[in-house]
Amino acid sequence: MLQATGLWAHLGGRAVLNGVDFHARPGQITAIVGPNGSGKTTLMRRLTGDLTGPGEVTLGGDPLARLSPRALALRRAVLPQAGTLGFPFTLREVVRMGHQAGAAAPEPGIVEAALDEVGLGAKIDGLFQDMSGGEQARGHLARVRAQVWHPVQEGRPAWLFVDEPVAALDIGHQLQVMAVLRRFADAGGGVIAVMHDLNLTAMHAERIVLMEAGRIAAAGPPAEVMTGPLLSRAYRCQLCLNTAPEQGIWLLPHAASLG
Amino acid sequence: MTAVPLRAAAAPPHRLPVAVVAIGLALLLAVAALASLSLGASGLLPWEVILRDTTPAERAILFDIRLPRLILGVLVGAALAVSGALMQGLFRNPLADPGLVGVGAGAGLGAVIAIVLGGLLPVTNRAMLGAYLVPVFAFAGGWAAVLILYRVASLRGQTSIATMLLAGIVLGALAGAVTGILIFVADDNQLRDLTFWGLGSLAGANWTKLAAAAPILIAGLAAAPFLARGLDAMALGEGVAQHMGVPVETVKRGAILSVAAMTGAAVAVSGGIGFLGIVVPHILRLAVGPGHRLLLPLAALFGAALLVAADTVARLAVAPAELPIGIIMALIGAPVFLWILLARRAVLEV
Amino acid sequence: MIRPALIGLALLLAQPALAQERVLSIGGAVSETVAALGQEARLVARDTTTTYPPALTALPDVGYMRQLSPEGVLSVGPDLILMAEGAGPPETLATLRAAGIAMVEVPEGHTPGAVQEKIRVIAAALGVDEAGAALADQLGAEIAAATAQATAEPGPKPRVLFILGNSGGRLTGAGTGTSAEAMIALAGGVNALEGFAGYKALSDEAIAAAAPDVLLVMDRGAGDTSEGVSDDRDYLTHPAIAATPAGREARVVRMEGMFLLGFGPRTAEAITALHAALYPKAP
Repeated sequence: MLQATGLWAHLGGRAVLNGVDFHARPGQITAIVGPNGSGKTTLMRRLTGDLTGPGEVTLGGDPLARLSPRALALRRAVLPQAGTLGFPFTLREVVRMGHQAGAAAPEPGIVEAALDEVGLGAKIDGLFQDMSGGEQARGHLARVRAQVWHPVQEGRPAWLFVDEPVAALDIGHQLQVMAVLRRFADAGGGVIAVMHDLNLTAMHAERIVLMEAGRIAAAGPPAEVMTGPLLSRAYRCQLCLNTAPEQGIWLLPHAASLG
Repeated sequence: MTAVPLRAAAAPPHRLPVAVVAIGLALLLAVAALASLSLGASGLLPWEVILRDTTPAERAILFDIRLPRLILGVLVGAALAVSGALMQGLFRNPLADPGLVGVGAGAGLGAVIAIVLGGLLPVTNRAMLGAYLVPVFAFAGGWAAVLILYRVASLRGQTSIATMLLAGIVLGALAGAVTGILIFVADDNQLRDLTFWGLGSLAGANWTKLAAAAPILIAGLAAAPFLARGLDAMALGEGVAQHMGVPVETVKRGAILSVAAMTGAAVAVSGGIGFLGIVVPHILRLAVGPGHRLLLPLAALFGAALLVAADTVARLAVAPAELPIGIIMALIGAPVFLWILLARRAVLEV
Repeated sequence: MIRPALIGLALLLAQPALAQERVLSIGGAVSETVAALGQEARLVARDTTTTYPPALTALPDVGYMRQLSPEGVLSVGPDLILMAEGAGPPETLATLRAAGIAMVEVPEGHTPGAVQEKIRVIAAALGVDEAGAALADQLGAEIAAATAQATAEPGPKPRVLFILGNSGGRLTGAGTGTSAEAMIALAGGVNALEGFAGYKALSDEAIAAAAPDVLLVMDRGAGDTSEGVSDDRDYLTHPAIAATPAGREARVVRMEGMFLLGFGPRTAEAITALHAALYPKAP
């Protein structure tokens, strides 16, 4: 269980989080959605411990502030938005760094398995810098997966924090990445994802947290949060919501409004 | 599914097997060390000391001149190359060098102060410090610069590498200006001393100097491997490294302090020796990849071998006189570096 | 080819030392003095500043006097090192002292008395005190005669600007307390520069204020094109120089540096030569 209470954050004198309470359960994908500037990424940074401030975050009952970077790395991995690599490391070396960060004793075969999971097994000895944006994004996903390879370690769930994991990807790879997160959650791990794509969110998340102006506007299963009035107000546009038998809710943008 | 893609290869095709590189460098160092002990203006061979009755002067050549000089060369060469690799890892830039944290500028200023103003000291103090005035001042200057920069770049326990870089440039300019003033008041002899100091040399090596510098150099070298994992992770960015459990602030502090210690001590005992810090890690990254766990120890080996070899050339080229080692380093290092850049460009453009 | 020679040297080293029969001379004036005492056969090596008498340049060169390398010095197998004040670096001297080599530092000075003292110190170190006393007395008399003649010249003394070097139009001149100033005074001139000590880069205004009657420049021998050595024309067309009396009358005196400023056994000769150049007889 990940639990946060009374989180505040200020940027440039402006409150970007106004006393947010948040929780997420292992075995689920918890998606954080909301318009640009609503505080999604700031909330994520408070939850990973990158940002400190008023309020408390606990991971499995342990306050984040009391865990060392190393102890934290054994229990959760974070997939950031795009980044650059300073030196010509190979894909294998990058993913191995992730595995070494999360394993008390490295296990053979995990680097390869993590790369196979994201469909990059054939490029294992290629230079990371030479790869396309989409390949680098999946390479980073393999790295964080290799860090928390076992969704449940020593009886404790591991956590994956992913910030817009499908931003640079085509639709096929978007589904592939969501499938990776899905399997991790199904095996007992916890996933917290900042998402822009509401359709993918609706398809995969068990729980959706809708942010609006630094507050949580709604939180709950897709059926409760993905409603016309809530989304239209948060995103300031008109959306056409439908349901499909297999897929659940899906939506189409309709018109800008509430300008 | 088709056949599992080939992944059995031990090393990616563009890299050399690590064992080959390590053994090659160790052999290179062994050959350079033997040459350094065997070759010199006097033509004395090390085994003569065992094989026949030698004079005290001959034993002094081997044990009081060549041996401390060889050990100092090994330590200084290793320290300069490892310092370069650490700085490049810290700044995530293959062109970074210890000069970026102000050690070079500070140490240089210290040396100039000692050379130019040393003559103004009361005779008693001068006699006490004697030959060690310049090394002591250079070391103190290097450390003072690093402490100032660290203070400027640190805020609430966070060290900004970008601020440090900017402050380093500013401090370098300031040190350059003060150096300029001192050069203006320097007399002719002092100017010549300054020039020679700037070109670097191991000629002053003796057991006293070695005893003073070795603990600092060895401590810096010993600290480096503990930074390897952290520097690898920091290649992905400080934030990512933190997520991967790296105590980023500790790694930064450790890297800066060990570089300051090693460079300060190296510059203090050998003057300005360039190129090792950039060329050695660069070549090794091409050969075995950028992972610091291999890069740091191999850089120590390679740096030591190159400096000992260059020093041997320096004292043979115009024997019985001696060339400053910085000249040899640049004469050999610059063309090799250009050649590597050209060769790489050809590969990239094909 | 080289190896047998080196081993030969090593064997020479191994021979028991005869009392100070292998002398290394560091410093141009020191070497000149050794030669003037007739002891040049005992020299085994020299430093870079030793250029006179020319025969000495055939000896091995152990490098610049302030940057001696311990093994380089030991390799020539000296049992006595005669060195001018300022030779170094100190670490090298300490190593050589530890190796048991006798070392004598010859004091530097820019007075006739100091020149005589140099000779006596060197002669004592070489064990030829009597020859040293004779040479010192003779040189003292010669210097006194040359100086007396030079300072007896009637009329105002010429203002002399000594220029050590020229780098791209920036001239380095000799201020107070320099060997050049001492030499100019001994030869009956006046140093045109005052107000600063040592050798300094000169501003155009400082040159104008100095108003020299004569430029005295270093001549490092024919064909020397190294930095700082210029043609007379370079000086005379220098805008600040051109406006001075020396520039207008194109009076440039060239003298070889070691001869002029060495303060060795050729000092009397140098005083006479400079005196002749400063007071040219009317045609």
